[in-house]
Amino acid sequence: MSDPPPPAVRSSVPLVKRLSARTVTIGVLCSIGAVAVVTGVIFLVKPYVPVLSLGVLYVFAVLPIAVVWGLWLALPVSVLSMLAFNWFFLPPVHTFTLADSENWFALAVYLATAVVVSELAARARRRAASAEQRERESALLAELATELLRGRELGEELGEVGSRTAIVLGVPEATIELGPAHRPPPDSSPHLLEAADRTVGTIYTPAGSDANVAALHRFLPALSALLAVAVERDRLEREALEAEALRRSDLVKTALLRAVSHDLRSPLTGIRTAVGALRNATLHLSDEDRGELLETIDLDSERLSRLVGDLLDLSRLEAGGAAPEPELWSLDDLVREAVDTLGARGRVEVAGEAPLVNVDGTQVQRVLANLIENALKFSPPDATVHVRITATRKEAIVRVVDQGPGLEEDELERVFEPFYRRGSDTRSGAGLGLAIARGFAAANGGRVWAESRPGQGATFALALPVVEVPAELRA
Amino acid sequence: MSGQRVLVVDDEPQILRALRATLRGAGYTVESAATAEEALTAAAARPPEAVILDLVLPDGNGTDVTRELRSWSDAPVIVLSAVGEERAKIAALDAGADDYVTKPFSVDELLARLRAVLRRRGQAADPVIEVGDLRIDVTERVATVGGERVKLSPHEFDLLRVLAQNHGKLLTHRALLREVWGPAYEVEAHYLHVYVSHLRRKIEPDPSSPRYLLTEPGAGYRLVDPGDDV
Repeated sequence: MSDPPPPAVRSSVPLVKRLSARTVTIGVLCSIGAVAVVTGVIFLVKPYVPVLSLGVLYVFAVLPIAVVWGLWLALPVSVLSMLAFNWFFLPPVHTFTLADSENWFALAVYLATAVVVSELAARARRRAASAEQRERESALLAELATELLRGRELGEELGEVGSRTAIVLGVPEATIELGPAHRPPPDSSPHLLEAADRTVGTIYTPAGSDANVAALHRFLPALSALLAVAVERDRLEREALEAEALRRSDLVKTALLRAVSHDLRSPLTGIRTAVGALRNATLHLSDEDRGELLETIDLDSERLSRLVGDLLDLSRLEAGGAAPEPELWSLDDLVREAVDTLGARGRVEVAGEAPLVNVDGTQVQRVLANLIENALKFSPPDATVHVRITATRKEAIVRVVDQGPGLEEDELERVFEPFYRRGSDTRSGAGLGLAIARGFAAANGGRVWAESRPGQGATFALALPVVEVPAELRA
Repeated sequence: MSGQRVLVVDDEPQILRALRATLRGAGYTVESAATAEEALTAAAARPPEAVILDLVLPDGNGTDVTRELRSWSDAPVIVLSAVGEERAKIAALDAGADDYVTKPFSVDELLARLRAVLRRRGQAADPVIEVGDLRIDVTERVATVGGERVKLSPHEFDLLRVLAQNHGKLLTHRALLREVWGPAYEVEAHYLHVYVSHLRRKIEPDPSSPRYLLTEPGAGYRLVDPGDDV
C-alpha cells in the first residue's frame, strides 16, 4: 500500500443551495402572477368590502410561494404585495405615498403577517423535505442491511448501492470502492467510508456536484458500518471455504499416504520375509522353497521399483516438471513399440490408420503402454486386446478395447484418480497407471478418457492433435 | 514332513509364497488362504494347530475371522498388522487373537512367536505355574520368586495368575481388567497400570527395567520367561 492517503475530504458547504436560473425564473414569474391575481380579486371584491381590510388577501399569494420556493422568494413577494396594495388601492392611488397614517400601520401589519406566515410555511417545507430525506436514507440502509444479511455477494451489490446512495446524497452518480483508498478517478471527489477507525472503502461523487452535506455526515457512517459488517462477513465466508478446501485436500493426502504406505509395505514384507528365511541357518529349505523365496524377492523388488517410478512420474506431472520434447511420429509405430515394451505382442491386435503426430515419443508410448497394460489386466487370460487407430482432420484417436468386466458409469472418471482401484481388486498395482497416462497425454496436448458399458468390456481412448504431413515428407 | 499344521492367511500372493516356504523350512505343514472365506473353510476342513492371519482381507477383516474361529477352535492366532492399523490390531486381540507381529516383520520374530503360542497351547490348566524364577500355586494362592514367598493383595495375585496362565501371550488391557476385576471394569485402564507397577516392585529384580512383566505399548501386557527367546 504505497499510495499516499488521499487528501482529507473537504466538501464545500453552500449556505443556500445553489439554484438553477430556470428555478429562479419560474419562481419570479409565478410570484408576479400570484400578486397580479390577488390584486385582480381585490379589484373585484372592493365595491362590497372596506378596501383596507382586503390587504390580508395577499397572504394567499405569499403562502404558496413560501411553500414551493421558500423564504428567499416569499420575502420579496410580501414586499411586492404591499407595494401593489398601496399603488392600486390606498389613497392616493397610483402613488406610493399614503394620505392616511392609519394606512401605514395597516400596511405594516400586513407585511409582518406575510413575512411570519411565509417563514412558517418555509419551515414546514424544510421539515418535510428533511423528513423525506431521512426516510430515504433509512429505507436504503434497511434494505442494504437486509440484502447483506441475506448473504448476497457484496461485490454484486455495490453498483446498486452506489446508485441508490447517489439519490440519497442528491448527486447524479456515486461509485463505491472497497478497500484502502486509491488515487481518485479524475473529475470525482472522494469521501472516505470509515468504520471503527478503519477505512472500509471510498465513495466517489462527480467533482462539482454538491452532495447534500447533512446527508453525507449522517448517512456515510451508517453505510460504512454496514459495509464493514458485510466485508467482514465475506471474509469469514471465504476463510471458511478455504478451510474446508484445505480439510478436503488433507483428507485426500491422508488417503494417498495410506495407499502409498500400504503399497510400499506389501512388497517390503515379501522381500524381508524371503531374505530372513534364506539367511536363517536353522531353517531346512528345499531347493524348491529356495526358488520360491528368490522369486518373491525378484517380483516384489520389481514391483517396488515400478511403484517408486510411478510415484516419481506422478509427482513430476503434478509439479509440471514433465516437459515433453515433441518430435514427429507415426502413431501406429508408437502403439507397436508400446506393445513390445509390455512383451504382449501375442495378446494385442493393432489395426487402423497411421496418422502423424508431433509428441514426445517416450511419454506417449508410456500412455499407450499403461492403457494396454490396464486392458490386459482386466481381460480374461486368453482374450485379445484390440487397439484401433482412427484419424479425423484434427485428431488421431487410439482406442484400446478390452474384454473385461467393463466399468460402471460412476467409475468412468474415477479410474483416472491416483490410487483408485477397480472393484475389490487388491493386487493390481497401486492404481497409478491411468492417472499417469492422463497426465502425460495432457502434457502432449491430448486427452484420455474411458468408455464402457458394464459387462461389455471397457474402452480407453487417447486423442492427440494430428499434424499435416510436411511437404518434404510427402511421397 | 508332518509337522504341526499352520494356516497362513494373506491376500498378497508374494507374502503368502514367502511365508509358505519359510514355515515349511521350519518344519511346519503349511496351509494357505487368500480370503476370509477360504481361511474359515480351510480351518474347518483340516483344523490347524496355529493360524497366521493378515488383518486386512479382501472380503472381511482378521478380527471377524478370529471371532468366528474362536467360536469353535482354540488354535492360537497370530495377527499380521501394519503401522496405522493399531485399532484393528487391538480389536483382533480382544476378539481372541493371541499375539501380533507388525509388517514388515523379521522371520525370526515370527517363528519365535509361533513357537511360543504353540508351546503354551500344550500346557493344561496346571495348578502350579512356573515362569523363570516365578512359581505360582493357583490353588494355594501362593507366589514365590526364587523360593522366597511374595506378599500379594488378592487383586495383585489374580493379575499375576491371569498373566502366568497365559504367559508369553499378549493380554490386552481390556482382557486383563475383565479377568481380574470383572466385565464392569473393562475400561478402567488406570487400575491396571497401578497394579502392574505394584506387582513389578514385588516380582521384578529391577522394577525400573522389567524382565518378566513387559509392556506392549498401546496394546497390553505380557508375562515372559526372561530365559525364553521371545
